Amino acid sequence: MKESLLEIDHLSVRYPAPGGDIAAVNDFSLNLVAGECVGIVGESGAGKSQALLAAMGLLPRHARVAGSIRYGGAPFTRELRGRRVAMIFQDPMTSLTPHLRVGAQIAESLTHHLRLSGAAARARALELLRQVQVTDAERRLDQYPHELSGGMRQRVMIAIALACNPEVLIADEPTTALDVTVQAQILALLAGLKRERGMAVVIVTHDLGVVAGVADRVLVMYGGRLVESGAVADLLTTPRHPYSRALLRSMPRIDDPLDGPLHTIAGQPPSPARLPTGCAFHPRCERASDVCRSRFPALAAGRTDVACHHPVEDA
Amino acid sequence: MLEIRDLKVWFDVREGFAKSRPLRAVDGVDLELRAGEALGIVGESGCGKSTLARAVLRLLPPTAGKILWLGRGIEALDAAAMRPLRRDLQIVFQDPLASLDPRMTVGEIVAEPLRVHEPGLDRTARGARVRAMLERVGLSADVIARYPHEFSGGQCQRIGIARAMVLQPKLLVCDEAVSALDVSIQAQIINLIADLKRDFGTGVLFVSHNLAVVRRLCDRVLVLYLGKPMETAPTAALFARPLHPYTRALLAAVPIPDPARQPARLAATLGGELPSPLDPPSGCVFRTRCPHAAAECAERAPDFRPPNSTALATQRVACHRLEEI
Repeated sequence: MKESLLEIDHLSVRYPAPGGDIAAVNDFSLNLVAGECVGIVGESGAGKSQALLAAMGLLPRHARVAGSIRYGGAPFTRELRGRRVAMIFQDPMTSLTPHLRVGAQIAESLTHHLRLSGAAARARALELLRQVQVTDAERRLDQYPHELSGGMRQRVMIAIALACNPEVLIADEPTTALDVTVQAQILALLAGLKRERGMAVVIVTHDLGVVAGVADRVLVMYGGRLVESGAVADLLTTPRHPYSRALLRSMPRIDDPLDGPLHTIAGQPPSPARLPTGCAFHPRCERASDVCRSRFPALAAGRTDVACHHPVEDA
Repeated sequence: MLEIRDLKVWFDVREGFAKSRPLRAVDGVDLELRAGEALGIVGESGCGKSTLARAVLRLLPPTAGKILWLGRGIEALDAAAMRPLRRDLQIVFQDPLASLDPRMTVGEIVAEPLRVHEPGLDRTARGARVRAMLERVGLSADVIARYPHEFSGGQCQRIGIARAMVLQPKLLVCDEAVSALDVSIQAQIINLIADLKRDFGTGVLFVSHNLAVVRRLCDRVLVLYLGKPMETAPTAALFARPLHPYTRALLAAVPIPDPARQPARLAATLGGELPSPLDPPSGCVFRTRCPHAAAECAERAPDFRPPNSTALATQRVACHRLEEI
């Protein structure tokens, strides 16, 4: 058994609202071990980003967060953020400071966390840019974020994240804003960093293809809850939750046989402000019965762990 | 139905005090669209796909070239002369909510094209057409009194499609029409567009960066890179045997949710970045990222031509080294 790094237990996130609390995340747990890559998949409002932001203590003050977040066996503290656990986001332009040169932004983290001197920080910044395969790295140090392409900016964000040799990298939709060829480059870079540094990676995405390329395990979220989790090889080939299965089928692929219209899921993902009773997926589920409307199914272990009263069983 | 010859759309870009330079967003594109046919226009950001679609509708002024609509040149028509043609040329945009007027009810939004183009229609007849169209796109008729902000992204896109289709246009331009939607909603809208195209015989220009969606919806595909056509082919041929190195790279980069194949696909992806469109490479614009680039690629832009092999005659490709690679 590998060493557990980040342990999130029974996490919930609520926002008080006049019409009743908005339940963004309900009873979410994740045990991340060293060197693995976990993909978290779901549609808008599924709670995937909220769960991770809550774990990192990055939610606004009015969010009510409950549950336990531990790191290396001890409670997670703010000091670990940036040092042991680093994070990158979807839009590198808004995460970078527009009026600071790239080199200074990477060095900032080095001087702040590692107390490096100016010259040493600059040398290390250059080394980091080369590690994330930024071309012409020396010149880039003195450029501003707006002078870089979207792909370059995401590489710079990754360089900043790597500055303190973190054990965990959390990537929230890191390639959603990028073109496909650049997306593939960034994903290949993340896979390489994970392999070479033994760094654990959590990648949040709505794209199952992204998960298939880089993740070892995948968690599927719906309506703020974990509905299925398992090894990528199992979950993406024979999912047990009807939602995971329907999501896979409704995704157009360049290698599907095109023998009929695309599978669809009727209706739309629920708003966290108005979650259906019982299993949040029941209004859209073809397997739903009375029990699904009244009671949320507990996550039960199996070939994959699944929270469903009527999971799809192997044929 | 639609024929475009050597279309160019250039923008003047001024940086600081420097002299303005042309940004060649679309630089010499030919295309043809037959009635009822769907043509996918694909490529990465900055390839000119949206600019091309907007120029076809004359929402942007073309710099040079011909746009023949039902045999008539429309590239130089003024706004007044374009107006009667607009009933047959409709568009659906990427951001469903932003493209709907927040102060109008759904009923008014869908009725507006009818008011403009069929002023003879009385209130009852117009209302009936609006309700029928809303139902056709999967919305119940009781939505007509409500406002766009009350609807989800997928429903707003249905409203946008109803507005575009209510006149039963000959051409529907979809500019990244399903790109902002969640996977489960995207599938519904893809099927809806496919059904409408089939039932109304509408020609479709489908602009998208998502090749898997284009493969589902389109009969033919045009691949653009930095404003220039790289390859065009019937959809099945393009996906079965992409001939241009860029088309191959683009297809290889599309993630597939198959854990047995995807990691290896990722490892073999195209390097480099899109050059600045203000300073495109000489010769073939793709050569700076092309694994097969040779000396002649830097010297001269390749012709956009059918391959020498007659078996590949339905494809057209802009590559000097097509026969060697």
